[in-house]
Formats: sequence, C-alpha cells, structure tokens
Amino acid sequence: MATTADTFQGHTESHGGSHGAEHHDADHKPGFFARWFMSTNHKDIGTLYLIFAICAGIIGGAISGIMRAELHEPGIQVLGYWVNFMGGEASFDANLHMWNVLITAHGLIMVFFMVMPAMIGGFGNWFVPLMIGAPDMAFPRMNNISFWLTVAGFASLMFSMFVPGGIGNGAGTGWTVYAPLSTSGSTGPAVDFAIFSLHLAGAGSILGATNFITTIFNMRAPGMTLHKMPLFVWSVLVTAFLLLLALPVLAAAITMLLTDRNFQTTFFDPAGGGDPVLYQHLFWFFGHPEVYIMILPGFGMISQIVATFSRKPVFGYLGMAYAMVAIGVVGFVVWAHHMYTVGLDVNTKMYFTAATMVIAVPTGVKIFSWIATMWGGSMEFKSPMVWAMGFIFLFTVGGVTGVVLANGGIDDNLHDTYYVVAHFHYVLSMGAVFSLFAAFYYWFPKMSGRWHSELLAHIHFWGFFIGVNVIFFPQHFLGMNGMPRRIPDYAEAYSYWNEVSSFGYYIMFASMGVFFVNLIYAFTMGKKASANYWGEGATTLEWTLSSPPPYHQFETLPVIEEHHDYHNHLPAEEKA
Amino acid sequence: MSLDALEASGKRAYRVACRSGCRDNDCSFAIMAAPEWKVARIERCALMMSERANSRIADRMTRFLALIWVAAMLAFAPQSALAQEGLTQSDLVAPPPAIVPPAAMEQVPDDAAADATSGDPVIEDAGGYVPMGPEMIKGQPTNGSITFQDQYSPNGDYALWMHDAILLPMVFGISLLVLGLLLFVIAKFNRRANKVPSRTTHNTLVEVLWTIIPVIILLAIAVPSITLLAKQFKTPPADALTIKATGYQWYWGYTYPDNGGFEIISNMMPEEEARAKGFPGQLEVDNRLVLPVGEPIRIQTTAADVIHSFAVPSLWFKHDAVPGRINEKTMIIKEPGIYYGQCSELCGARHGYMPIAIEALPRPQFEAWVRAQGGTVGNEAADTDGVLGAELPGLQQPESAVPDAAGAGAPPTRTTAPGTPVTE
Amino acid sequence: MAGAVNHEYHILPPDIWPLLGSISALTFTTGMVMFMHSDFFGGAWYAVLGLGIAGLIATFYSWFANIVNEAESGYHTPVVQLHMRYGMILFIASEVMFFVGWFWSWFDFSLFPSELTEVIGGQWPPKAIEAVMDPFDLPLLNTLILLCSGTTVTWAHHSLIHGDREGLKKGLWLTVILGAVFTAVQIYEYGHAPFDFGGNTYSSAFYMATGFHGFHVLVGTIFLIVCLARTYKGHFTPRQHFGFEAAAWYWHFVDVVWLFLFIVVYVWGGWGAEIH
Ligand code: HEA
Ligand code: HEA
Ligand code: CUA
Ligand SMILES: [Cu+2]
Repeated sequence: MATTADTFQGHTESHGGSHGAEHHDADHKPGFFARWFMSTNHKDIGTLYLIFAICAGIIGGAISGIMRAELHEPGIQVLGYWVNFMGGEASFDANLHMWNVLITAHGLIMVFFMVMPAMIGGFGNWFVPLMIGAPDMAFPRMNNISFWLTVAGFASLMFSMFVPGGIGNGAGTGWTVYAPLSTSGSTGPAVDFAIFSLHLAGAGSILGATNFITTIFNMRAPGMTLHKMPLFVWSVLVTAFLLLLALPVLAAAITMLLTDRNFQTTFFDPAGGGDPVLYQHLFWFFGHPEVYIMILPGFGMISQIVATFSRKPVFGYLGMAYAMVAIGVVGFVVWAHHMYTVGLDVNTKMYFTAATMVIAVPTGVKIFSWIATMWGGSMEFKSPMVWAMGFIFLFTVGGVTGVVLANGGIDDNLHDTYYVVAHFHYVLSMGAVFSLFAAFYYWFPKMSGRWHSELLAHIHFWGFFIGVNVIFFPQHFLGMNGMPRRIPDYAEAYSYWNEVSSFGYYIMFASMGVFFVNLIYAFTMGKKASANYWGEGATTLEWTLSSPPPYHQFETLPVIEEHHDYHNHLPAEEKA
Repeated sequence: MSLDALEASGKRAYRVACRSGCRDNDCSFAIMAAPEWKVARIERCALMMSERANSRIADRMTRFLALIWVAAMLAFAPQSALAQEGLTQSDLVAPPPAIVPPAAMEQVPDDAAADATSGDPVIEDAGGYVPMGPEMIKGQPTNGSITFQDQYSPNGDYALWMHDAILLPMVFGISLLVLGLLLFVIAKFNRRANKVPSRTTHNTLVEVLWTIIPVIILLAIAVPSITLLAKQFKTPPADALTIKATGYQWYWGYTYPDNGGFEIISNMMPEEEARAKGFPGQLEVDNRLVLPVGEPIRIQTTAADVIHSFAVPSLWFKHDAVPGRINEKTMIIKEPGIYYGQCSELCGARHGYMPIAIEALPRPQFEAWVRAQGGTVGNEAADTDGVLGAELPGLQQPESAVPDAAGAGAPPTRTTAPGTPVTE
Repeated sequence: MAGAVNHEYHILPPDIWPLLGSISALTFTTGMVMFMHSDFFGGAWYAVLGLGIAGLIATFYSWFANIVNEAESGYHTPVVQLHMRYGMILFIASEVMFFVGWFWSWFDFSLFPSELTEVIGGQWPPKAIEAVMDPFDLPLLNTLILLCSGTTVTWAHHSLIHGDREGLKKGLWLTVILGAVFTAVQIYEYGHAPFDFGGNTYSSAFYMATGFHGFHVLVGTIFLIVCLARTYKGHFTPRQHFGFEAAAWYWHFVDVVWLFLFIVVYVWGGWGAEIH
C-alpha cells in the first residue's frame, strides 16, 4: 500500500491547475457554483439530497393536505379550486381527475423524491463513507449525476401536471401506473412525462446503488471487516442490492407502457393478446422490494441511535445484519400479495400468503433486538431516541396489519380499501418518516456544526406522533367498514372517521411548523456542536471527526485494530 | 345451453380448448359467447379451477412451493385442526359438496325468510317486480363503525371469525407487547435508574425464543388462512347460476348467460334521488344485480376498458374485472336483502361513482324477475328461439366512455354521477 | 503532514458534466414526449429531441474522455481499478435484470397465448403471425457471428496481456467488424421480416427484446471502437487495461443475451410456425 500511495501523491501534485498548491488543504472548498452544481464531494451531495428531499416532502405533504381537506366531508369540496389553480378548467369530471392526479403525485413524490433521496442519497451519502472510514464515495462524479437525475425526474413529474392526461391535466393513474388505465385509459402527454420521470429517477438510483455497493465493498478502512461494519452501512448495502436488481425490471415494465401508449405494441392490451396482469407482476416484482428499500436504511439508523442513547452496543449484531439480508432476499419472492384479487389461483395465493408472513420473523428479530439493546442500558431520551422509540412502536403496528393483509383470503375484503392506506402509512409516514427525523436530529449537529433546540425537537415529536396517529388510525376502521381507496367523495357512512382523520392532519401540520422553526433557530442561533456531542454511547467513526467534518476527511485512513471489538463498541483499550 | 345453440343464434361463439383435458366440447364450462376480445382465458371447469396453476407463469413456478408449504402445514399442524377443516390437497380437487339451498336457507333469520316468501314488500307477482325498499338493506357501511360490515355469506362468516378470533388478538397482542416492553425499559433502564449500562450483547435463549415464537404464531395464522383460501376456491356445482359482471367506465353490466343472456346495465342513482328514497347516496343504483339467495352463484368478472373491481364487503367478495380475462369466484348470499359495494380498482375519473348493489331474492321470486326481464329459466332456453339474438328492450348496449378504449363505441347513453347533464 | 493525502482513492475535482448530462437526459425525455405527442406540442420536438441527444452524446464523450485522461495521468491506482471492476459488474447485473423484464413478458405470452383474442387464437406464434423468420437462416448466422466475435475479443485480450499490440489491433478490428456485420444483418432482417411491428404480443415482444439487444450491440460496438482508437494511441498496457476489459465483459454479456434470444425467441418461440 505504501508504495502505491507514494506514486499516487505524485499524481495529486500535478492534478488540475485550478487547485494547485492548496490541494492538500482538507478544508479547501470550491466556489459557490462549483461546490453546489458541480459537486464531487459526498457530504455536499448528501446535503443537496437532503435539501431536495425536504422540499419534496413539503410538496408531497402539502398535497396530502389538499387531499385531507377534500376528504374532510362527503361531496366534492376543494378540487375545483385546484383544477383552476393548476391552469385547467373545473368541471365535474376534471375535478374528479384532479383527485387522481393528486394522489398519484403524492405517492410518487413521497416514495421516489422524499423517502428514497433522503435515506439513501442524503444520509447514505453523508454517513456511509464516514462510518467506514473512507475519504469519499468510490465514484464521486457519478454520485453527482445520481442526484441531478433525481432532480430531472422530479422536473419531469412536475411537467406532467400541466399537460393533458386524459380527462384533465396531469397523470391520474395512481403511483402504481396500472395498465390499461395508464395506456389506452389516459390519452395525452402527462402519463408519458410521469413514466419518464421514473426512468430518470430510476437511472439515478441504479447508478447510486452501484456506487454504494462498490464503496462499501472496496473502501472500508483497513481492519474494518464486513462483520465490523456499522449496521447503518449494512442496511444501505442491502438496500443498494435491492435497488440494483429491482429497478431495471420497473424500467422494462414502464418502457412497455410507453411503447403500448405510443408505438402500437400490445404488451398490456388484450386486443393484441396482451395482459394487464403482466404489468402488475412486473410492477410488484419491483414494487415490493421497493417498500423495503424505503425502510431498511431506517432500520440501520434506528440501530445506531438506540445503541448510542442506551450507551450499549447493539444486541445481536450479526442477527441484525443478517435479518436485513433475509428481509431483502425474501422480499423478492412475495410480490403477488399486492395482487390477491386479480384472479390468481389457489396455490399461488397460498404460496404468497405463506411467503409474505415469513418476513415477519426477521423483522421481529430486529424489533426485539432493539428492545434488548435498551434492556440493561442507561437510556437518555434525547430527541433522536424518542423518534426512534416512536418508530419501533408504530412500525410494529404497521407491520402487524401487514401480516393481516398477507392472508390472501382476508385481503379479499381489505384490498384497495383504507385499511391498506392505514397499513402503509404506519410503515411509511410513521416508520420511514420517523426514522428520517430520528436520523435528522441525530446527525444534524454533525452535518451543520450547530445545535438544534432539543425542546422544539421534542415538541415536534409529540405533535407529529399524535397527529399522524389521529390521521391514520381511524383509516383502519374506514377500511374494515369497506371504504375504497382512491376516491375523492364517499358515502355518508364514512364521514365520521374521515373527519377525525382530517383533523389529525392539522395537528401534524402544526408540528411540522415547529420543525421548520427549529431549523431556522439552529442556523441563526444554534450553539456550536462538538465532535462527539452525544457522548460515550456514540462510537462509530463519524464521531471521531469535527462537527462539521473537514471538507475532505480521512486523508490518512483510520485503522480499525484487529482486536477492536467494533460492533460491540469496545474501544481497544477497554477490551485489552 | 349448447355451443350450437349459441352459434345458431348468430352470436360469436368460441370453442375453447379446455385445458382440463376432459375434451367434452359440450361441457357447459368450456363455452362462452361474447364479443371476441372481451373474453379470453376461460377458466371455469371444475377440473380447471383446481388446475389453474396452468394459467399463469408465476403460478407454475410457485405451485411446487405451495405444495411443499401445504405438506409442511400437514406435518406441523395439530391433527385436530386438520380433522376439523379437512384440508388436504385432494379436497381442493374433489368435486365440491353440493351446497344446497335448504341448508343455506336455514340460516336465514325467520323474519327475513317470511318476508321473502310472503312476498310482501319484495315482490307481487311475476309481472310486477318491485325493487326492495330501504328496509331490506343488509350490507352497508355504518357511520362510526370500527369494524367490518355484518357478513352474509358462509365464507364471510369464516373470514370474519378468523379476523376477530385470530388476527385481531395477534395485532393487539404484539403491538401491546412491544409497547409494554418499551415502557418497561423506559421506566427501568433510564439514565437515572440505571447509571451503569450492562454490556450484554448476546443471549442465545431469548434469541431463539423470539425467532421460534413468531414462527409458531405465524403457523397458527397460516392454518385457518389456508383453510379460508381453500373454502373460497371451492368450485360451484356444474349447474350453478352463472353471472357475468362487466366493468365499464363507469358503470356495471350484468349478463345472465344461463337465463337467455340478457344484460342489466347498472348506473349509480343520483345521490339526491337515492337519499329521497331512503337509500344511501353514492351506493344505490338504478338497476340492481338481482341474484337468488342461498345457493352458490358463479360470478365472472371482466371489463371492457380498464381494470375495475367487483367488491361487496358484506359478502367478503372482491374480484378484479380485468379486460381480456374472465375471473371467476363463487358467491353465496345467505339472506334476501340489499348488499352494497363499490368498484375497488382505480379506473379513471368516476372510479368513486360506480357502486354495486345486489338484491338477493328467494329462488321463485328470482325466476319471476328473470322472466320479467325477458330471460329464461332452466331448459326454456332451448325452446325459446330468438331470445338470444333479440335486442332486449329498454336496456343499454354496453359501450365504453373512453373513446380510445378497445371495444369502445358511443359514450354511455346515460350519465350517472350527480351534477352532470344527462346525455340521452 | 497534516492534510496530506495518504490513500490511493481517487478524489475528483468538481465537474460540470453530471449537471449537463442530467439536463440533457431531461431534454431528451421531454423531446421524446413532444415527439410522441406532436399533435399537442407541434413540431418543436425536433429541436428539443435533437438538443437532448446532442447533449447526451457530448456528456458521454466528455465523461469518458475525462476518465481516459485520468487513467493516463495515473489516477487509476489498483484500488480505483477494482472500483471500476465492481462498478462494471454491478452495471451488467442491472442490465441482466432489465432483460429479465422482457423475457418475462415473452414467456408469459408464449406459454399462455390468449385464447379468444382473434389475433392470437390461443396459439403460439399467434394467428396474426402468418410466418416467422427461419431461425436457422440469418439468426443462426448472427449467432455464429456473435460467437465468433466473442473469440476475437478474447484473442485481442490475450494479445494485450502478452504485449502483442498488433494482435490486439487485429482482434479488435475483427470484433468491431463482426459487431457491425451483426447489426447490418439485424437491420436487413427487420426490413424483411414477415410481420410488422406491434399489433400483437408476438411482434411486440419480439421487436422490443431483440431491439433492445440490438441497441446494446450498438453500444458495445462503440465501446470497442473506443478501445480500438485507444489502442492506436498506445493506451493499454499488459498490466492496466480495464477500459478494454470492461468493453469485453460488456460484449460477452451482449453475446449471452443473444444466445438466450436465439434459443427462446427465434428457435423455441417460433416452433411449428410457417417459416418465411
Ligand atoms: C416501508 C414500507 C412497507 C413495509 C416495511 C411493509 C411491510 C409489510 N407489508 Fe406492506 N405495503 C406497503 C409498504 C410497506 N409494507 C405499501 C406502500 C403498500 C401499498 C402499495 C399500494 O398498493 O399502493 C403495502 C401493501 C401491502 C399489502 C397489499 C395489500 C393490498 O393492497 O391489498 C400486503 C399484503 O400482504 C402487505 C404486507 C406487508 C407485510 C406482511 C409486511 C412485513 O414486512 C411487516 C413485518 C413486520 C412486523 C410483523 C412487525 C414486527 C414483528 C414482530 C414484533 C414480530 C412478531 C410478529 C408476528 C409473529 C406477526 N403490504
Ligand atoms: C413515504 C411515503 C408517504 C408519506 C410520508 C405519506 C404521508 C401522508 N399521506 Fe400518503 N400515500 C403514499 C405515501 C406516503 N404518504 C402512497 C404511496 C399513497 C398511495 C397513492 C396511490 O394511491 O397511488 C398514499 C396515499 C394517501 C392517501 C389515500 C389517497 C386515496 O387513496 O385516495 C391519503 C389520504 O389521507 C394520504 C394521506 C397522507 C398524509 C395526510 C400524510 C402526512 O403524513 C404527510 C405529512 C408530511 C410528511 C410526513 C412529510 C414530512 C417530511 C419532510 C418534510 C421531509 C423530511 C426530510 C428529512 C428529515 C430529511 N396518502
Ligand atoms: Cu371502476 Cu373503479
Ligand atoms: Cu408488498
């Protein structure tokens, strides 16, 4: 290593005239444009991803506000206003189409442009290299195009809102884009823009996935074996594999949609022998791994946080890591549980029922290991920890309703009702989003060098916790009582719980106000953060660096000593 | 009715190569009359229903695994559970026990049965069919309800039992266990109560336990779950009534192929009108799907434009209506009454406005209703020449509202949703 | 020395091409939508699509030129080369999954042909397909061409490892020529196919699967041409030539996909049909 490192330094000297002498300065930052638009720095790209995700979260959250306002009471309330606002012409059908456009945009934005960029692009970029002791990602330039392709995808989705998509402007297909509603059922360019939006974001994610896998396999600091790697890194590794193998299948499926729409192919058109159900198989072969893509990095973050604030190493480290691998693997063979009512035969339904339920086992291992990590710990309830504990409880609730849905015979009643909406918001709007906020408060001072207000963070937590539960818990009742998803207007009998649900939105909304006040507070008045501000419980490598870390960290690679019991968080001396 | 009769009537009929291999061309399952593109993959024969793994590529791949699973279930499940439910592979293939009306009718509450037979509000005579009034509504949502709608089918009863007795306790048990453990560690292991953290990171016993116990719980769920599926997939007897429900943007068409093939077009009743008549808005329709009570009915679903889904929560019934496919499932309604449902697959703008309303009648009244529609009952079909070809008066021709959709024609002659001008 | 770089990783300076490349990609997809809906957008798609494609070509060119320059300047230490190996393998893995999607639809259609759709008629190849290509005519020729090109690219690789630059050139030239011939034959075949594009599942799945393969052949050929040009510039050494290896891997991948296509689509998929 030493010899090659010498030659390498030779190259560095002669590299890029603009840098010249200062190249060795770890904290030398490029000018504004070069830094934020041409970045090859994993931390800057991570920051860009986080800002982007927060913007997308605001838009997606605002759309869900319009949706809850519409569902506040039976009848059509606010849709006409939004049709006019978006430049269309309000009419009975145009208003109804607007509803479909809103839920489609909400689903796609939250999934592809909020959760994924925040978890993988944002926190993954920031902390995978830091945690494995690497100076940057394996392909720093490709890292940047992953980000900008995500932005391009978002732009394409925005374009789609302003062009015709059948009855009105925008793509009203649902985030699942089922054919033939998305083919012969939606004329006009909107759906094509939406499809290309997925192509672009998907390409960015595939490149990102190769980047993460390569980084994690090749750039771990000397001595850091796979089995010493922090669990967050493990989670990103598994997630990256899911992305790499699942997204291309989606790409093929939506390409078929495009050619069916525009070039007379008949993949999903029965008139030419095609089969709409084939699209669903292809979509969910991607779609189910996708839902684990959205939660696995969250699992990783929760592991770091629980260990830190319990001041205790993670319980059952290997079990935790391999549980994620198991979830990833089994996640590829359960897809048709989204299709129980399409007319599968009895054996297929039995198989998918059984296979789906299997995932509860490794997930349970994780839940119980987190609790076991706290057991015997010396817990401190800082804001990341309360979000993490909220996660553990609410994700469990969402998970067990998933097990209810997994039963093919039970799903015959619940499929496409609000019970499903409740299930997936418990795992997403409470699982994934809670882990995002936990991670945000955990690492914000590390990333920015400034303290948020812990008080405001706690107020944010309680407001959000109560708010989302009031929004989504009653939706279980609505679903069991038979209310279908994706309808803007409902029978009178569903009005009671819908009103409660919409009321919950206001609580949640207020708490998000606290979040943004906290951000402003931190950037204007926040105290400076030290290197390891959470104290002795925080043992991964990012805590060895200043807050914020130097522009280029680990220019001399840290060495993880042979007997450093890394995953047990035992510093070398203590063990000795 | 035979294939020849269909062909003679001038309808397009297709001789389907039945995959069951029985090669009986006059088998009533293997024949279907329909506009060509709407019907494909007819999978209706009893033999085929159990062999339907042939039908999809995923099915074939997974069949093997399913068998292993079933075998595992057999090996692990308590004998008593098996004896009770009689779940064996052969059970799935064997001809279903005849579910005869008398047995089912026994479950009909007395007043309802009396209602039905005395004919009082339900029906006057063959000619004077009067749709049921709001007092006969059985399956509908209840405001403020926190659970399922009341169930009116045997499978619904079983599924509801399974949910309430097994799944709900599981949901609450596990959620509360996790919550309880969290509260416990909060109380016991906070920094003040426990200054020095332990360093335990392994405990083989608890790790094994929290793996094994969930497995056992899941097996306990799987047994009734698989049983429920087997029940739901029981094929109806060969002579069961067949109804074809076709989803259109945005209304339903119900065809009665065993009764002369007439089609009922069912649009949502304007909400004002429905409420004025005492029916729930957005759920009531102009022409209900009329079905006989207490007997297995073969419901086939398909669609003319995009995917719809035929769903009736109080019968635990939901089956997608997919263009180019016919899906089939058995429905049994225990009591006369009205049962509401809604289209349950996003199908475009008015997806929220294509309700389903079933009116279940005792067999005699049902037959009277069929005749009143110009339909036939039993063998009459063979004698009543021309019924098949005849245009039935007063019924709409099924056509799609989406101009580009396959099989499209003019928009529906009557719009359904409130607030739209009626285009006659 | 504080701040000194003591590792072998490649830390890159800021670069504009990721941004330009994404803008080009968005321009390209937008141009595609405008092209597909020219009734709505008018004729402007011409410019937008053109701009997008030009931008993408410029991006690819500059991007790879940068990589080549960096390699030549010695930034590609052994570990960086290892990165690239991983990157390429993973990229190919994702490409495999992309083709899984197309094969999935092919198997679905061919194993379960729709019975009551007139154009299919419950048989495979469908009724609407009056004749299929003779798999043992041009497709077989193309199979042999690709198999041959697999050996020539290996010949080139061996020559490279043994420092035989002339052999490398010859092997590469042959591979490129074989690739080009393959593409030419494929175009000819498309032009003379007994069935049109679209309208039924056979021709949809046939053209899209073989078409995407053809596109990959084109990309692979360009990749090899770049390697050939680099050979003339004296770029590769027996010890460091990952650019070449990546092209070879890609080429083998394209080759294997073709073998599947040949067996599944041409031979098995057209079995029993009238041959044209
Ligand atoms: C983060 C995303 C996420 C996650 C993690 C999950 C997790 C699970 N999901 Fe969910 N799901 C979605 C997102 C997610 N889902 C979305 C978005 C949809 C709708 C898509 C659409 O149609 O638009 C959906 C829909 C969906 C359906 C289809 C419903 C329908 O449309 O009819 C089903 C059916 O099986 C299902 C099941 C499950 C199961 C079994 C799990 C399991 O992984 C859960 C496992 C976890 C636990 C079980 C809790 C912890 C475990 C223990 C404490 C141990 C003890 C437990 C037992 C013994 C049970 N999900
Ligand atoms: C991650 C995914 C996600 C999230 C977070 C949410 C959040 C919310 N969702 Fe939704 N939702 C979906 C995914 C999500 N949803 C999907 C996939 C569908 C199905 C669409 C379809 O049918 O096709 C759906 C559908 C859906 C429906 C059903 C519509 C219908 O079927 O007709 C409803 C109705 O109430 C709803 C409401 C809400 C509400 C009130 C919130 C609120 O919780 C929103 C509050 C806002 C936030 C929680 C965002 C805050 C986050 C940030 C600001 C970023 C923070 C970033 C960092 C810290 C880095 N959503
Ligand atoms: Cu029809 Cu939804
Ligand atoms: Cu799933």
